[in-house]
Amino acid sequence: MGMTGRERLLACLEGRKADRLPVLSVCQYVTYGLMEKTGSYWPEAHYDGAQMANLSAGGAEVLHLDAVRVPYCQTVEAEIYGSAIKDGGRTHLPSIEKPAFVLGEEPAIPDNFTGRGRIPAVLEAIRRLKERVGKDTLVMGSLVGPFSVAANILGVSALLKASLRKPGALIPYFEAAEKTAEEYAQAIIEAGAEAIVIEDMMASLDMISPKTYREMAAPYEKKLIESIGGQVPMIIHICGKLDQVMEDVAATGASAISVESAVDVAAVKEKFRQQGISTPIFGAVHPINALLEGTREDVAKAVQASAEAGVDGISPDCAVAPDTPVENLLEMTEAALRLQPVN
Amino acid sequence: MADKDILKDLKQSILDFDEDAALELARESLAAGIDPVEAVGVLADGLNELGVKFERMEVFLPEIMLASDAFKNALSVLEPEIKKKNTEGKKAIPIVIGTVQGDIHQVGKDMVATFLATAGFEVYDLGVDVAPSRFLEEAKRLGAKVIAAASLMSTTRPVQKDLIDFLEAKGVRDQFIVLVGGGVVTQEWADQIAADGYGQDAIATVNLAKRLLHVA
Repeated sequence: MGMTGRERLLACLEGRKADRLPVLSVCQYVTYGLMEKTGSYWPEAHYDGAQMANLSAGGAEVLHLDAVRVPYCQTVEAEIYGSAIKDGGRTHLPSIEKPAFVLGEEPAIPDNFTGRGRIPAVLEAIRRLKERVGKDTLVMGSLVGPFSVAANILGVSALLKASLRKPGALIPYFEAAEKTAEEYAQAIIEAGAEAIVIEDMMASLDMISPKTYREMAAPYEKKLIESIGGQVPMIIHICGKLDQVMEDVAATGASAISVESAVDVAAVKEKFRQQGISTPIFGAVHPINALLEGTREDVAKAVQASAEAGVDGISPDCAVAPDTPVENLLEMTEAALRLQPVN
Repeated sequence: MADKDILKDLKQSILDFDEDAALELARESLAAGIDPVEAVGVLADGLNELGVKFERMEVFLPEIMLASDAFKNALSVLEPEIKKKNTEGKKAIPIVIGTVQGDIHQVGKDMVATFLATAGFEVYDLGVDVAPSRFLEEAKRLGAKVIAAASLMSTTRPVQKDLIDFLEAKGVRDQFIVLVGGGVVTQEWADQIAADGYGQDAIATVNLAKRLLHVA
């Protein structure tokens, strides 16, 4: 008798033996096809907990992934801080139109943070998902890492330039973003999520140097993870070629690290083995080359290659493009199922 | 200071991403009677050198952004002089460039805009989050034959296709050369959406634009 997706993924995250490699999408997986199949669509699903849950449930009911997750975009926290958000309509994700602060302004934390903006809708969606698919599927709440929230409330360019010119001026933003992430994470757990994804996409080496990651991103990721004190597993996702900082990411205490195929997973796993690091690595099916533009065969090959490189869970590299064919996402699940059992 | 030293320092100001020094040295170079085209050349050399280091992950994006600011600072002094010299020459070819709707990534697009300007094009930078209709409006208004659209996210790449579809729907597709680029863009994608060209990086985009417009 096989494990349920929930059992499989939890086993993996808690360092126990699973019946096979879990398959999930650590980052957002909603596509136009999934909207049609579930009958829930953007933009409504960004704001309405019932629609959000219905759309995300498609991750279990249509795509047969081992986990479902909400929300879809990375602007929830920034909006509450006062960044102007541009709605993406039916086809795109909401994006930051104007950051809330100019460097030097005090990043005031709005009171009752988790009662504001779209967080109540996210929490309602988590409660509904738990009820609807949570018995067999792991329900994950996703929040944005402190470094990336700072980028979303200050502007990416301003943050990156200041990271070299005036690093000290950034600390209040990181501290505020970390504090609100703690509150948000706790609310996600109370709503019933059994894992949290920290998306810290701006902490990527595509954006910053290893030194900046170690000094400005990792300490706040670590503090956030410590504040949760192991109540639920915390999966961290960072984009880009992270090889140089993988040990630092592991040292944050994350329960798993989700990476892109740009990372040499086999080499990192070997380095981890030598240093006694057991943090699982999730990835690394390319969302464009394999999932969006590839054939089912390409997807199967990417899944196989990820498994051979030694990932501990199959997941797309990062967010799934919304025009990705549903068949290719299904193939990712099916190809993971055909893999040989884990030794 | 000898011309040679000024040029050497000018390049170094880019490698040190020192905005103030870049501006100061650009002024000095003009005062010393150095050809501004040559001065822009060494600035571009500096950016290229950093670009190579960036590829090797020896320097990172913030350094490139600051170097790009230093470059722009120097260019603000040098460019008017180049234009003055070129007034009797042929008119620069206008290009509109922007990052597509829903996408606020600026840096890569800025680099391409800067390199196109350095190569002698009249560049109109529409910024980020540019709707297909705005690309068309601005291109028409400015008489640009080239539209360059960047996308840096898997979730916004489809907007490049939206842009081309929009031009088709308006019946003006054949009036524009549409170039696409950005981290998530591939030649395959450019072919699939029938873009006129794919610029893998700033230098490739300049060469592509020159080739498609038949300018040397």
